[in-house]
Amino acid sequence: MRDPDGQIAATFYDGVTAARHPVRIAPTSDRLGLAILFEEPGRASVVWPFDRIRALADQAHRESLVLTLHTDSEDETPRDPARLVVADADAVAWFRRTRPSLFQRDVRPGNLRRVAIWLAAAAAAVLLMLYVILPGLADYLADHIPPEREIAFGRAVMTQVEYLFADGAVSLVCTDEKGQAALDLMTERLTAGQDIPYTLDVRVFDLAMPNAFTAPGGQIVIFRGLLDEAENAEEVAGVLAHEIGHAVHRDPTRLTLRAAGSAGILSVVLGDISGGTLLGVAGEHLMQASYTREAETAADAYALMLLNDSGIPAGPLADFFDRIAVLTDGMPEYLSSHPLSAGRAEAIRSGAWAEADAHVLGAEDWKSLRDICD
Amino acid sequence: MQPGIATSVVYTGERRALFGLAFRTALLTVVTLGIYRFWAKTRIRKYIWSSVALDGDRLEYTGTGLEKFLGFLVAVVVLAIYLGIVQLLLFYFGLHFVVEPMSQEEALMQLAVVYISLLAVLPLMIFASYRARRYMMARTRLRGIRFGMDSAAWGYVWRAILHYLATGLTLGILLPRQTFWLEKYKTDRSYYGDARFEQGGRWTQLYPAAIHLLIGALILIAGVVLGILTEDPERAVPVAMLGYGWGFFGWAFYAVRSRRYLDSRKSLGGLVGFVAEPRVGRVIGIYALGSLVVGLAAGGLFLVVGGSAAMVVGAISGDGGTGPAGIVIVAVLYLGVFAVFSALTLAFIVQPLIAHFCETTTVLNAAALSGIRQRAHDRGADAEGFADALDIGGAI
Repeated sequence: MRDPDGQIAATFYDGVTAARHPVRIAPTSDRLGLAILFEEPGRASVVWPFDRIRALADQAHRESLVLTLHTDSEDETPRDPARLVVADADAVAWFRRTRPSLFQRDVRPGNLRRVAIWLAAAAAAVLLMLYVILPGLADYLADHIPPEREIAFGRAVMTQVEYLFADGAVSLVCTDEKGQAALDLMTERLTAGQDIPYTLDVRVFDLAMPNAFTAPGGQIVIFRGLLDEAENAEEVAGVLAHEIGHAVHRDPTRLTLRAAGSAGILSVVLGDISGGTLLGVAGEHLMQASYTREAETAADAYALMLLNDSGIPAGPLADFFDRIAVLTDGMPEYLSSHPLSAGRAEAIRSGAWAEADAHVLGAEDWKSLRDICD
Repeated sequence: MQPGIATSVVYTGERRALFGLAFRTALLTVVTLGIYRFWAKTRIRKYIWSSVALDGDRLEYTGTGLEKFLGFLVAVVVLAIYLGIVQLLLFYFGLHFVVEPMSQEEALMQLAVVYISLLAVLPLMIFASYRARRYMMARTRLRGIRFGMDSAAWGYVWRAILHYLATGLTLGILLPRQTFWLEKYKTDRSYYGDARFEQGGRWTQLYPAAIHLLIGALILIAGVVLGILTEDPERAVPVAMLGYGWGFFGWAFYAVRSRRYLDSRKSLGGLVGFVAEPRVGRVIGIYALGSLVVGLAAGGLFLVVGGSAAMVVGAISGDGGTGPAGIVIVAVLYLGVFAVFSALTLAFIVQPLIAHFCETTTVLNAAALSGIRQRAHDRGADAEGFADALDIGGAI
């Protein structure tokens, strides 16, 4: 540092009061520290060892340096509360050039351990909630909701679905009497002697998609497209048995409750991250998919039980899965809300009762069912 | 308080420097899947704080990225449990109110259920906003002396909820009362060293600031009444639109004017006073110009980047549809454009606004600051973790 006697002017704040102290600074004679000499008479000078002097980072004013002392303190950073502001251009340049430890970050020991502990705790809390507590609570509540409430909720869901797909039409429900009678007969054959908690309400919607769904309260909908696609009544019976499985397991109610609980958690985990919506949607999808895959497998098992008990062959359902595998198995299983169709067909074939050969509907009834929407 | 000498607050931050810092840290945030955001926010605050100078002394921000990250993890543990269980239970009880599907009524019921679960988060959001302010104060220093705020977030929560209710029930007539008393609650619990801030003034004095909100509301009502009487949307809609636009202006007017009144009636330790003169026209101008620049720049970039990305993705995926590589490219580009967008917003809207509010502030009798003594370190509790988790962080 230059100056007649090697001293330059600076400003010192002692971290005790907000008073501004004009000082002169210069390296000590052994060059190991910086002497801070007060202009006020009677105030003793202070020495800051160079190896502990740090500067504040990311400051807007590049022409000056705010220096502080590395100290073991209770503060958010291990720094002494005192500050030394150096504005002299040569001194600033000298500090930047010759003091490599100026912008050194001093990490407290134990930081890594704290991060690891809290990361584990956060991950454990989220996983515990998503995979243990929320499913458990949802299952418990789904079993305790009064049936009439569940049915009312199911109707609301049905109205929404109908509204979503109706596209101007008054109603999507196919009302042909003979067809409905055939459908009811099929339901009765499947469920004879079984303990079903609801009066099942099975209907056909006039939609071209080959699909079916179950709303809360035992309300099952088959789309016309599925009847068109099916090669025989036993395939439809298999799908219906699967949907009855969902109804008996109260899957629609359970999954809706789970979704209600888990919706907020993912957005919390993501916080206010940029572009978080994108990740949020992806994460939500993965999680819901893993919930429903489990339910689908259980419904398949239930369907197999219904078919075997009523003596209806399960082979046609497996054939049906094989046919739709071409359409659905393009996606890896972990992304999909359903297990791979090929695997499902195989599981059904291996569990089917080989001697089952009953026809679920006579030729006449099967025709009526296929024509239910005409 | 003696008037003393008036000292202007100066803001020296530069657009290019802040944009560069914000863009670099935003890219790091994208690369680290969002983890770096705590450090990014810290570095940007260090820059902005150090741009504010009073009589040659610059503010210092001492928060750390690590404490924010840890605070966020703590908040995740608490909120995951609270939100998951409360929202599930609220939804369950909401189910009991679902009526037989009667279209309109049912839709209203469904809405009500949604709002009930929002209410479960509202107290937490208010709590988080107070704690975030306390953390920000506790990590700000001037002349080596800490600012600080009392730990009183729950008292703020119930007061805020009662004020919101009162304002809502009176159709907004008590808004000035809410603004004043909530600001007073926070100000009277704020400190610089051992000196306490105090909010003076009276809440009724905020009514002049609300004048354009009132005009906007009256025009909107007139439009609705006109619509009902004449049943002619061609005459009613323009009036309602005018009322809506006026209300928008009225909100900006209220925000700036109430700040001007409130800040000019704050004092520190009964010795230091403030004069705040932010201008409504300037604030709206900054918003308008900034939005235009950000919108044009981000939009142009999106077109260029998106267009070339579409070509690249098209070339990679060929006829087989978009493969995983294509999805990744699009996602990365989306996040990259997002980084540019947030950096532009900081440089062209947030920083000019901060600069304007600083430069229109004058400190009276700043000489009295010299006698103020240090206050104890505040651990800062969750270091904004709750605010971040609940997504109420804001720009900086």
